[in-house]
Amino acid sequence: MAKRIEILISGYGGQGVVRIGQILGQAAVNQGLYTSMLISHGTETRGGYVRSQVVISDEFIDSPVVERPDFFCAFSGIAYTMFKGLCGSQSLILHNPDIVSPDPGLASPHWGIKAEAVATEELGDAVFANVIFLGALSSRLALLTSEHIVEAIRERLPQRFHEKNLQAFALGRARK
Amino acid sequence: MKRTFDTGNAAITEAAIRAGCNLFAGYPITPATEIAENMSRRLPQVGGYYLQAEDENAALHICNGGSIGGLKAMTATSGPGFILFADAFGWAVSSEVPVVIVNSQRVGPVSGITGAPGQGEFYLSRYLTHGGNFETIVLAPSSVQEAYRLTVRAFYLAERFRTPVIVLADQMVTDGWETLELPETDAEFLAMGLEVVPRRIHPGPEFYPATDDIDVPPVVLGHNTGAACSDWTPTDRGHDTEDITWQHKHAWRLIHKILNHRDLIDEADQWYLDDDPEVILVAYGTPSRVVQNAVNAARRDGLSVGGIRPISLWPFQDHLFKRRAIYLVVELNWDGQLVREVQRAAADGSQVHFWGRCGELPTSAELLEDITTLLKHEPLARDGWRTEKW
Amino acid sequence: MSDLLEKYVRPEKNPGTACKGCGLRLAHRKVLEAIDELGLAQGDVVWGTGIGCSGRQTFVTWKGDTFAGTHGRVYAMATGLRLALPPEKRLILTVGDGDAFTIGFLHLLNAARRNVDMTVVVFDNLGYQSTGGQYGVTTPLGSKTDSSPYGAWEPNWTQGGFDVLRILKESGATFLARHTVLQGHEPVESLKKAIQNRGFSVVQLIYPCVTHYGVQALGTRDLAKIYDWFRERTADDLSADANTHFTTGITHDASGSRVEFAAGLRQFVASVQKGVGNGETD
Repeated sequence: MAKRIEILISGYGGQGVVRIGQILGQAAVNQGLYTSMLISHGTETRGGYVRSQVVISDEFIDSPVVERPDFFCAFSGIAYTMFKGLCGSQSLILHNPDIVSPDPGLASPHWGIKAEAVATEELGDAVFANVIFLGALSSRLALLTSEHIVEAIRERLPQRFHEKNLQAFALGRARK
Repeated sequence: MKRTFDTGNAAITEAAIRAGCNLFAGYPITPATEIAENMSRRLPQVGGYYLQAEDENAALHICNGGSIGGLKAMTATSGPGFILFADAFGWAVSSEVPVVIVNSQRVGPVSGITGAPGQGEFYLSRYLTHGGNFETIVLAPSSVQEAYRLTVRAFYLAERFRTPVIVLADQMVTDGWETLELPETDAEFLAMGLEVVPRRIHPGPEFYPATDDIDVPPVVLGHNTGAACSDWTPTDRGHDTEDITWQHKHAWRLIHKILNHRDLIDEADQWYLDDDPEVILVAYGTPSRVVQNAVNAARRDGLSVGGIRPISLWPFQDHLFKRRAIYLVVELNWDGQLVREVQRAAADGSQVHFWGRCGELPTSAELLEDITTLLKHEPLARDGWRTEKW
Repeated sequence: MSDLLEKYVRPEKNPGTACKGCGLRLAHRKVLEAIDELGLAQGDVVWGTGIGCSGRQTFVTWKGDTFAGTHGRVYAMATGLRLALPPEKRLILTVGDGDAFTIGFLHLLNAARRNVDMTVVVFDNLGYQSTGGQYGVTTPLGSKTDSSPYGAWEPNWTQGGFDVLRILKESGATFLARHTVLQGHEPVESLKKAIQNRGFSVVQLIYPCVTHYGVQALGTRDLAKIYDWFRERTADDLSADANTHFTTGITHDASGSRVEFAAGLRQFVASVQKGVGNGETD
């Protein structure tokens, strides 16, 4: 049977939700795997969120829908509230405790990373928080190698941003 | 092969360029705008023309005009623009003009919800103009890779059949990202089962033969062949006529050039039908991916389930539904469109159920639950047109 | 004159199907005369038509290549066609006032904006005549028609200080003229200039509809009386009172002053190809 990994990433527009999905997808493709990413936008009246549903597999992906996420990167309180219901004990939820307070009733393990603060402190701009999350996530993604993700960062981001994003990735990947 | 990670919009663009498209006219509309943007970047690189029209009606008319001059033309839109094609679409059908139309279906009616997928134009794509007396070719991709293949195929069929061909996609196919393999050589292109038909020029004088022949060269102006094409009912020479005999001949051709060459059009995926499963799920476009997943899972559980995915939607493939079975038709709308054709085509004694939703895909878990219920011959919680109460 | 018809018009469409006494035949002939005097052959011209009396009666009369658009959209079609045709081919459209100035006005304005090389000859019969006589935007105010039994009162685009050709001028058209078919050779001279302009030209050519406008608005079936009314209403210059006269002449001649659309697009595409190389993805 196929190895199928489901990753849900959600937050506000501008937080790099789609970009993280693009990097993961590109890395999977470069590694010879199959991947899909659905992007949806909630309207402002519904609370405003961007959602990437990323599936990575070693064979053709039938359903691109993330029904039982293996990983959920919750970049905002609204996103967390909206999609935590999909998460079970198998789902690792990555979140920033400064922004998202974990629901104690949820069976899922939570991994709090103060990515915005780290990004501001170490790299001078909170904008790199998403790549710190990507780094942390990658350390748990057995299917993808770090080298392929680094290659994908280089492919998907403009060159002038490579250095800081690669630093952000390393910072995230080093977290335990 | 060049292996990339890209959107359906990008796949459609690259397919059009590979198929020889050298004219794109469109009007920005979510979620098809990215096709226009991609074409505006790619077409000039290959010597083609990109135009932004004053509206979608003009866009398809510009495409028609380019096509009767010998260009290979495409336009792309979503529901609110798709309805504005009616005028130009009828002209292209009647004048037998090759042109490719992409519709990324979103939630309707009217402006509806812009960035969410719907499947509300199943019937509209069949009857995109008034007056009847014609058949339409409609292809429905369910993945980024298939969006590439079917766009190339649309150009191919448009040239061979001298008719507009519609690629009926949805927001998740066009905006969605997937592994996309692009052929880099002619050999790789051919190995994908794809072909390009160059534009031929009808020498005249019988531009509109009263036959069901395909591969009749299109009418191309500018070569002093005495070419004539119009919105009027044509005689074989393209003259306008009010003679009902000519009208019958013309309509007969528009219908039968397509119906009598369905071997070139008909396409479907069929999953696990060999052992005559009790329940058969039916879907096209992105929802069919979830259906495939649910059917695979049900089979792993030993359930008597199969699946059908029509790839060419029109002409409708009645023959796919000749098995007596319990059909569950899954669509991204609440009113049920594909299900009506399945009801009509299903073998006697079949049951046909409707599973509808709009804006969001079904989940495999939901479908599995309904499969189990149907196999127990129990009523579905959300069946047919009584899906939910407010 | 019959020589001209033999030279350019398909025998099966000669004589045409216009009503007896219809001014459309004169209008059609003016265009053929202009083509002839310019020394153009059958293969030099692609002829398109719109909907209504003008379109229907002139469609597929031309021996060469011809097409007819849907109502009001032939300008958009001609825009696409122009990109495919060799620049030297002349693209002439004979259309009605309803086709050009109402249902198709959006597309006409955009063709003017782009300065697409085509000559739009508006055979203006002062309203919707092929549907039995209803008022349009060139119908003189007060005219009784089947849809204005008490007299046309809606503001139009030829009186009250409006001139539809002025709108087209502001939209970028590079040649504009108005004539009536009763003005002898003058309209032919304007048509020649219009056809020679490598850009967007419109010639409004007013002609009498005897069957509907004559009977409904002028109250007579007498051809002589109808033609007299038109003759009296025709002013040979542009300074006359447009509320009481058809003011005629070349209203705007900026031939060659703007880049023609297809030529411009070709040049643009060539510059892109030169800049980024052929077929590069990024």
